[in-house]
Amino acid sequence: MDRVLIVDDDVELCRLLGERLSTEGFALEAVHDGLRGLERVLSREHAFVILDLMLPGMGGLDVLRRVRAQSPVPVLILTARGEDVDRILGLEIGADDYLPKPFNPRELIARIRAILRRTSPAPERTAALTVSGIRLHPAAREAWIDDVQLDLTSVEFTLLETLLRDAGHVVTREALTETVLGRALGPFDRVIDVHISNLRKKLSVSHTDDRIKAVRGSGYLFALRSETAK
Amino acid sequence: MILSTRSLFLKIFLWFWITVIVTGVALVATWIILQPKSVQSQIQTTLEGVAWASGTVAVDELERQGPSAALAYLQQFSQKAHLKTCLFDTSRQAISGSDCGIFEDVVAHAPASGESGFVSRHGFSRVVVKLQGKSGREYIYAVEAAERHGPPSGVGPLGVALRWSVPLLVSGLICYVLTRYLTAPILRLREASRHLAQGDLSTRAAAGMERRRDELGSLVQDFNAMAARIEELVFGQRQLIYDISHELRSPLARLNVALDLARERKGSDPAFDHMDQDLERLNEMIGRLLTVARLDSSAVPVAMSQVDLTELISLIARSADLELRKNDAVVHLTLPGQFFVHGNAELLHSAIENVVRNAIRYTGIGNPVEVSVTTQNTAKPSSALIVVRDHGPGVPESELANIFQPFYRIADDRNRESGGAGLGLAIAGRVIRIHGGTICARNAQPHGLEVEILLPATTSS
Repeated sequence: MDRVLIVDDDVELCRLLGERLSTEGFALEAVHDGLRGLERVLSREHAFVILDLMLPGMGGLDVLRRVRAQSPVPVLILTARGEDVDRILGLEIGADDYLPKPFNPRELIARIRAILRRTSPAPERTAALTVSGIRLHPAAREAWIDDVQLDLTSVEFTLLETLLRDAGHVVTREALTETVLGRALGPFDRVIDVHISNLRKKLSVSHTDDRIKAVRGSGYLFALRSETAK
Repeated sequence: MILSTRSLFLKIFLWFWITVIVTGVALVATWIILQPKSVQSQIQTTLEGVAWASGTVAVDELERQGPSAALAYLQQFSQKAHLKTCLFDTSRQAISGSDCGIFEDVVAHAPASGESGFVSRHGFSRVVVKLQGKSGREYIYAVEAAERHGPPSGVGPLGVALRWSVPLLVSGLICYVLTRYLTAPILRLREASRHLAQGDLSTRAAAGMERRRDELGSLVQDFNAMAARIEELVFGQRQLIYDISHELRSPLARLNVALDLARERKGSDPAFDHMDQDLERLNEMIGRLLTVARLDSSAVPVAMSQVDLTELISLIARSADLELRKNDAVVHLTLPGQFFVHGNAELLHSAIENVVRNAIRYTGIGNPVEVSVTTQNTAKPSSALIVVRDHGPGVPESELANIFQPFYRIADDRNRESGGAGLGLAIAGRVIRIHGGTICARNAQPHGLEVEILLPATTSS
């Protein structure tokens, strides 16, 4: 049974969600303020975190920032509908996906399932993968450039893995959203682009040249070394 | 400062100036009318005094030492006093003196003994007196003086111009300063109220003017108090809408979960589907209300970037077309070339989509909806003109301006079946405005509504 943590100040909502998620095979633990939430996330007892951005005590974005300094656990943020700035900030800080509140519980369950499925180590792809100096260990979910380990979130790892497995070919934004987040690309959905941008920043620490190319109108491409030389 | 002929500044200034000029002219006129009498009588008195004194001496000289002595005296006197003199006997024969000829006229009407006659003309004053010598004989004595108070003779045209222009300039300057002092606060108040009317509720009239202790100062204070109150009220109202919508979401989120739980336990039921639909509707309405509240408060910045209007509108038209085909109708899209605008793609999408959806809702079964985009080069910078036209009943002329108000519905339109709460066009209006564009609606011929959106376009990247 996967343990899921929710940090939200709406006690009644947490209780109802706990009830609903238990029927889907998740054990939900609820905390209602930011500081306590941070403490519980960092205990590393949970496979998934649902984080409301409007929290008493410590704001959701601050909690997320501190969590990301230490843990790659998948985080889904609950944002007020339409508050784009918070949503984009949340994704840039390292949230994996977002859901506007109020949400449909079935949608929430689908998102949790999808991200968990994508981010858990897949036994059939345990073989290490090396492309142009980047080494992936799917079993341990670790990525290395030469001898430097990259500090990637679960979703970023899946994203890099997807791009590397198709290195040299364009992967559409639709396909990336489908594979990495387990859902269809919505209108004005920039989540995958924010993840790409975060991943680029992390790769640029060890690589001087930008390996992930945007292909206008279709998607992204991980360029092989011979191609970047052109 | 731009002055129109009807401006208050010009009016007050001209009135002041004209008043000053007319007052000045009246003063000068009065002075001129009253002056000659007094001056003349003054001259007369002086001249008479001089005539009596010098005449007596001349007669004395004549009787004691003869005509030559009298002539010597008179010549000397005339020279000293710049006068012309002549002494006559009673038969009007000149006895002694220079220029006796000029006195012929005056002497003809010699006054009675001991009296004098006075004539003033052509800038000369003449006095004739009748004297009695010590011997008892009578004489007539005449004196002429050139009048020095006559019209200015030594002043040229430049001098005249100066005499007129200096008072005019000085009075004009004083009037200008006074008018400025009076009208500047009014003009600034006008500026401030215009900003207020345009929606900039933080506008206040200049703080410096509040310190004036006159009525204008009070007016400025009152204006600022009013502006503050309006801002407070409007802000309060927006905050209320925002807070209510925000607070409504918590119970709505719980209802969503509770309903889903109920479905889990009791299985599928049409009642649940109804609840689901209404929840979704509520959710959407609250989302839209929040969008309106957010767009109304300028405090929240909107992320802007280059937006491909062509792609955006094609997308909207395509999905609208799918929807219209259910009613056996189509969307006619006219989209020549590429258009780019600087803006927020998501907001623009929802704005244009709302307008198109509105058209779909009212166009009626079998009637198409027309969407066209053209470049408007007359405006600076060049703009993209989006026209959405339906073939529905249109909107009464008097209500055309109101359809961009939140929750506005035309009186006889209570058809909520088609969804929407009257927020779509309100959102569209606000979105277009924050993009620096304009939106307006008008009735088309023979019937139908035409909505025009004008957006400032950027050059393609």
